[in-house]
Amino acid sequence: MVLEVRNLSKSFGGLKVIDDLSFSVARGERLALIGPNGAGKTTVFNLITGVYAPDAGSISLEGRDISALPSRFRIRRGLARTFQNIRLMAHLTVLENVMIAQYARAPGIASLLQPLGFGRGNRWRGEARAALAAAGLERYADQPARGLPYGVQKRIELVRALAAAPRVLLLDEPAAGLNPTESEALHLALDAIARRGVTLVVVEHDMQFVGRLCERVVVLNFGSKIAECRVAEIQADRRVREAYLGADELAA
Amino acid sequence: MSGYLESVLVLLCINTVLAYGAFLPMVAGQLNLGVAAFVAIGAYSGGYLSQTYNLPPVLAALAALLVAGLIGWLVAFPILRTRGIYLALATFALNQVVQGAILNLNVVGGASGYPVPAHIGFPVVAAFSLAVVVAIVALFHTRFGISVTAVSDDEGVADLMGLSVRGLQTAAFAMGAALAGLGGALYAHHFNYIEAQNYGVLFSIYVVLYVLLGGTQTVYGPLLGAAVFTLLPELLRGSAAWRYVIFACLIIAIMSLRPQGVLLRKSWFSR
Amino acid sequence: MLEQQIVNGVMVGSVYALIAVAFTLAIGVLNFLNFSLPGLFMVAGMLTWYLLRAHIAWPIAAVLAIGSGALLGLVVERFTYRLMARSAHFVPLVTSMAVLILLENLVLIAWGSDQQRVPLPFADVSWHLGPTVIAVPQMIGLACALAAVACLDQVLKRTRVGRGIRTIAEDPQTAALLGVPIGRVVPIVFIVGGLFSALGGFLFALNYQQASPFMGEEIALKGISAMVVGGMGNVWGAIVGGLLIGVVETFSITWFGARAVDIAVYGLLLAILFVRPTGILGGVVRQQRM
Repeated sequence: MVLEVRNLSKSFGGLKVIDDLSFSVARGERLALIGPNGAGKTTVFNLITGVYAPDAGSISLEGRDISALPSRFRIRRGLARTFQNIRLMAHLTVLENVMIAQYARAPGIASLLQPLGFGRGNRWRGEARAALAAAGLERYADQPARGLPYGVQKRIELVRALAAAPRVLLLDEPAAGLNPTESEALHLALDAIARRGVTLVVVEHDMQFVGRLCERVVVLNFGSKIAECRVAEIQADRRVREAYLGADELAA
Repeated sequence: MSGYLESVLVLLCINTVLAYGAFLPMVAGQLNLGVAAFVAIGAYSGGYLSQTYNLPPVLAALAALLVAGLIGWLVAFPILRTRGIYLALATFALNQVVQGAILNLNVVGGASGYPVPAHIGFPVVAAFSLAVVVAIVALFHTRFGISVTAVSDDEGVADLMGLSVRGLQTAAFAMGAALAGLGGALYAHHFNYIEAQNYGVLFSIYVVLYVLLGGTQTVYGPLLGAAVFTLLPELLRGSAAWRYVIFACLIIAIMSLRPQGVLLRKSWFSR
Repeated sequence: MLEQQIVNGVMVGSVYALIAVAFTLAIGVLNFLNFSLPGLFMVAGMLTWYLLRAHIAWPIAAVLAIGSGALLGLVVERFTYRLMARSAHFVPLVTSMAVLILLENLVLIAWGSDQQRVPLPFADVSWHLGPTVIAVPQMIGLACALAAVACLDQVLKRTRVGRGIRTIAEDPQTAALLGVPIGRVVPIVFIVGGLFSALGGFLFALNYQQASPFMGEEIALKGISAMVVGGMGNVWGAIVGGLLIGVVETFSITWFGARAVDIAVYGLLLAILFVRPTGILGGVVRQQRM
C-alpha cells in the first residue's frame, strides 16, 4: 500500500467534516474519490498533504507515518497534488511555475543558491522546458501564468506537479471546466502518467471520466466512506445513488 | 572630482545599498517599514566599533552588516508571525522602538548625535555598493528569486510545493536588514556624523517609495529608484521641499499608471 | 498628581482617538491604511493657525479648517484610491504615504518649517477639581470627539449609508451584488475620515496652541497605534485605544522622561501585535483565505 488513510477525523468549529475515514491505495493504482458536493473530498486532500492537521487518525506514505510531517516534506517524499481552483503563482512565468516544484527533488541551500544560467543549473531549466513541450505548452513558457486560458492553466498545473517527480499524485477535479477535446487529452495524459508507475488519486464529478481512467472508487458522503468498490459496480450500488440523488427520489 | 559631485555619488552608492536592503523583504512580500531601524543599528554599531575598539572602518562596516543581520534574524521570529498589514505595522513599531532606544543611549551620544572620526572614502563606498549589486544580481539568477516570489504570491501553495516558507521569509528579512546596516555604516564613516533623529519612519517610507518607483519586478529596479531619488534634486536645483514634492507627485503618478514600477519584467531569468 | 496625569492623558488621547477613528474606518471598510489622513490633520491644524492669526472669527475658522479635511479626503479618493483599488494591496498604502509627503512639503514651502503659535480666540478658562486642573477648551474637545464618534456610530447603525458602509466592510463583492452604490459610498468613507482627522487637527491646534508642518508625521504613528491597540475596524476601539495611548504617553513622559515615550508607546503596539492583534475591543479586518 503506497498511501494509507486510517480512521481520519477532522472538525471545523464543531462541525465534523471528516468522520472516521479509512482507505488505502496500492502502488500504481488509479483510485477515484467521489461524492456529492460538500462531502469533504478536497478536505481529504488537504489532510493528506498537510494543509490541516487531523483531529484523529493517521496517514502513511509508503509505509511511513506522515501525519505530523510538515507539508513541504511530504512533496519531497513523493506526494504531489493539483488544485480545484487553479493555484499558479501570478507573478512568475509558466516556466518558473514549473521550476518551483523541482525544488522538492533537490531541496537544500546548495540547490537554492545554485546559479541557473549555466552548467548543472541549466539542466533544470531545460528539463522544465522539455516537460512543457511534451505537454504541448512550450509556446507559453515565458509568459506570465496569470491571464492564460483556463484549460491551459490546468495543464500547466499538472506539468508543475509532475516536475516534483511524485510517486503519488493527487488530482482535485482535473477535468472540471474542460471541453470534450481537452478532457480526452487529459485522459490520455493521465493514462500515460499512470502507466509510468505513478499512483493516481482523483477527485472528480465527471463519472464518465472516472469510469474510463480509474479502477477503483471510494465514495464519500458527509465526510465518511459510504462505499468502496470497483468502478463498474458503482452504478449498481444503492448507497451511492442515494447519496447523489437523495433517498426520496429513489423511493419514487 | 569636486567635493560636491563626490558627495552625490557617495549618496547614490549608499542609497543603492539601502534600496536593496528594502528590496529583499519586499520581493518576499514583506513591507518593511522598519528599514531605517536597521540602517541606524548599522550606523551606530559600526561607528561604535571603529571608535571604541579602533577597528579599521572597513572591518567595522562589515561587522555592522553582521550585527544588523543578526538582529534582523532574531527580530524576524516574532515579526514574521504577522502578515500583510500587521507585518507592516509591526516593522514600523519596531522602527520607533529602536529609534527611541538609540536616543536614550548616551554612550553613543543619545539625542546629540554621534561623531564618527574614522573615514571611508568614495572608492571604498563605491566598491561596497558594486559588490552588493553584483551579489544581488547573482542571487536572483538562482532559485532564490523565483522561490521568494512564489512565497510572496501564494504562501500556502509554495509550502505544498516543498519550499521552506519560513526559512525564505526569514532569510529575506535578515539579509535585507544586513544590507540596510551596511548602508548605515558606510554613511556613518563617510559623512562622519550621525543623528538618531534621522532614522524615523519617514526615512523608511522614502526608501520603500523609491524602491517601488523602480519596481520590485527586476533586479535593477531598486538601482533605478535610488538613482532617481538621489539625482532628481541635483537636476532640479530647488529647495529640499520642492524635491520631495516632485518625488511625491512622481510616486502618485507611477502608482496610478504603472503600479508595478518603471521596470517591468517577464522572468527572473530572461530568455 | 496621578489624577492630573490621567486627565492630561485623556485630553491628548481624545485627539489621537479622532485620528484613530479615521484610520479604523478606512481599514475596516476598505482594507486600506490611509497614510494621507495625518496629512489632513496637519493641514487643518495649520489652517486653524493661519485663519485665527488673520483674525477670522473662530466658528468660521472651524468650518473652513474642518471642511478642508472633507475636501482633501475626497480629492485623495478621486485621484489616488479610485485609480488603484485593483492593484496590489500595498499600492494605495504607498500612494497615501506619498500624499502625506506631498502635503507636508507643500505646507513647508508655503509657511516654512517653524512651529507656529496659535492664538486662542477665547479666554483660557479652567476648572479646578481639587488639585486637578482641567482646561475647558480641552474638555470641550473631548466632548466633541466623543459626540462625533457617537454620531458616527449611530450613522453606521441606523442610516442606509451606514448600512452600505458596513456591508462593504463585510465583503465588497457581496455589497456590489446586493446593490450597494459603491461608487457613492466609498467617497463618503473618505470624507468622513477627512472630517475626523481635520477635527482632530483643529482641536489640537486650539488646545495646545501650536501647529507645525510636522504635526502630521508625529500624530500618524500614535493614531495608528491607537487604532491597532483598540482593534482595527472597531470605531469604539479607536476611542479606547486613543485614550489609552494618550495616558501611556503622559505617564511615560512623567516617569521616564520624554525620550522614553517612543519605547513605551510603540512597545505597547508591538506587544499588542504579537499577543492580541485583534486589539482590546476586538477588530474586524478582512484576512486572506487559503
